[in-house]
Amino acid sequence: MRDADQPQSSGASPQGPRAANLTRRAFITKGAAAVAGASAVAAAVAPLATIDREDIPSIGEFLQKHYKEMTAEDKEQVFARIRLEVEKRHGVKVTLTDPPALNGVEYVYGLNISRCIGCRRCVHACVKENNLSRSPELQYIRVLEMKKGSIDVESADHYYDPATVPDPDKYYMPVQCHQCAKPPCVKVCPVEATWQEPDGITVIDYDWCIGCRYCAAACPYWARRFNFTDPQVPDGEINPDMTYLSNRPRQKGVMEKCTFCLQRTRVGRMPACLEVCPTGSRKFGNVLDPDSEVAYILRHKRVYVLKEDVGTIPRFFYYFDERGSRYHDPIGAEDTGGDA
Amino acid sequence: MLRSLWIAVVLLVFAVVLMLAPLRFTSPVPPAVEVPDWATATTPVRQPKMRPQYEAGVFTYRCSECHAIIPPREQAYRTPLQHKEILSEHGINTHCLNCHHPSNRDAFVDDVGGEIPWDQPQLLCSKCHGPVYRDWQHGSHGRTDGFWDESQGPRLRRKCIECHDPHHPPFPALRPAPGPRTLRMGPPDHTSAHSAHNPLRLERYGDTGTDSRSLDEEQ
Repeated sequence: MRDADQPQSSGASPQGPRAANLTRRAFITKGAAAVAGASAVAAAVAPLATIDREDIPSIGEFLQKHYKEMTAEDKEQVFARIRLEVEKRHGVKVTLTDPPALNGVEYVYGLNISRCIGCRRCVHACVKENNLSRSPELQYIRVLEMKKGSIDVESADHYYDPATVPDPDKYYMPVQCHQCAKPPCVKVCPVEATWQEPDGITVIDYDWCIGCRYCAAACPYWARRFNFTDPQVPDGEINPDMTYLSNRPRQKGVMEKCTFCLQRTRVGRMPACLEVCPTGSRKFGNVLDPDSEVAYILRHKRVYVLKEDVGTIPRFFYYFDERGSRYHDPIGAEDTGGDA
Repeated sequence: MLRSLWIAVVLLVFAVVLMLAPLRFTSPVPPAVEVPDWATATTPVRQPKMRPQYEAGVFTYRCSECHAIIPPREQAYRTPLQHKEILSEHGINTHCLNCHHPSNRDAFVDDVGGEIPWDQPQLLCSKCHGPVYRDWQHGSHGRTDGFWDESQGPRLRRKCIECHDPHHPPFPALRPAPGPRTLRMGPPDHTSAHSAHNPLRLERYGDTGTDSRSLDEEQ
C-alpha cells in the first residue's frame, strides 16, 4: 500500500511530507475503513446500551472482601447492601442473617429408600425455600426412578410422570448434595469461593464465585447448579428468611448448591425437603448427638452411601428397612388382591 | 490499497449484520412450570380425629353413645348396618375387636384386655408391628416435624394413623409433582430419538437412534 502511495505523493504537496502522504484516494479508502470500523465497534458494543443496571456490580460489591476475611462490621455493611438490593429488585423486605455453625454439631442426612415413593414434593419445597430460579428451572434435588433389582444410576429416569407414584416395579432414589467430608468441589475451586463449614456443610460465597464451573465438573453427584442466565423468582414467592451463605438471591454466572437449608438448620429447624416429605423417608440431625435420629439409623440400619468408591465420604446416607420395600404384598391368604 | 478496501467492506458487512441481527437469539429456557400448592404442602396425608368420634350427617357422637345400647357382636367381620364406609383391609386382621375394645368403644384394646386411649394409636399398632414401632420410637420410621434441636424448639413425631389408614394400612399412592425441565435436562421427551443425546446417559448402546429406554428394558 505504502509502495503504491509513494510515487504519487512525492512531488505533489507543498505542505510537508505528512500531508503529502494523504492523497484523495487514500483519504477516501482509509476514511471508509475508519468509518466502517467505528460503526462495527459501535454495533458490537450496542448491547451495552440496553444492559440491565443490576448486571453491573456496585462499587461495594466490587470491592467486597472474601467472606472469611470480612470483619463483623464489613459483614454488616455487606448484608445491609444485599438487603437493599433484594428489596429494590423484588420489593420484599428480607431478613438477611448469618447464623454461625453450632458448636458440637455435624449434620447428617438419612434417606429411607424403602419408603420413598418418588412424589417429588421435596424438589419443589426446596425450590420454594431456597429462592431457586423458576425459569430457567434450577433444582437441587433430583429423584431418580430405577428398576427394582438394579442400582445403575445411568439407566435411571427422572422424567417419570405416571398418574400416581410409586410404580410397583420401580424404586426411587432422590439425589442432592451429599455434603462430603472430602468434597472434590472445594478442592478444585481456584478462588476459594466454596468451602466446608465446621458443621460439615459446603457453602459458596456467591459474590466471590467467578463462575468457572470446575466444581460442577468435579462433583460426582451432580449436586451443583450454575446460573447460566439471570435467575427468575417471582416477587411474591421470595422467601424473606435468608442467610448470606445459603438462600439469598443469586446472580447470573455463579454456582449454587444445596446447603441442607442452612437458614433453617442452624436455628434448629428441619430442612424444607424433610418437612414436606409425606412418607417420612427423610431424616436429619446431629450425628455427634448419640440420641439423635440419624445416630440411631447409622447404628442400627442397613446404610449405604452413593458412589462410595470415589472416596468423597458423604454425609448423606441411604438406608432401608429390614423387611422388603413397603408393605404392599399381601400378608395372608385371605388378602388375595395385593392391589395396594 | 485493495487490502484496506477489503477491510472496509468486511467491517461494514459485520456492522450491517450486527445491526440487522438476522439471527435472532432465541432463549432455550423453557417457560416456568406452574407448581401446584399441594406439591409444597407440609400437611400429613391423613388428618385423623384423635378422638372417638362418629359423624352421621350433622350429628356427632362418641362411639360409646351408640355402643352402650348396641350389644357387641363377637367375632364380627363387619356390622351389616353401620360403618359401611369402613373397609377392613388390614391383611389377616379383619376382626373389629382385635383393635377396638369390646366393652369400651372409646378406647382400643391391648394384649391383656386393658384399654389404650384413642389418642395413643401407636401403642395399639405396636401389638403386631414391633420392629416398626421400635423404629418409630427412635425416629427412623415415620414423620418428624418441628425442630431437630429440641433445645431450640419442639419436635413433633407424627403418629401411625397420620400416614396409614388403620383399616387399609398401605401408604396411599400419590400424584407426582411436575418433573424437571431444567436447562441441562430439557423438556421431557421419552419417545424421540433425541433421548439418546441425554447427557446423563452414556452412549454405551451405540448411536442407533432408537429409544435408549426400550434398550434398557431389553437388557
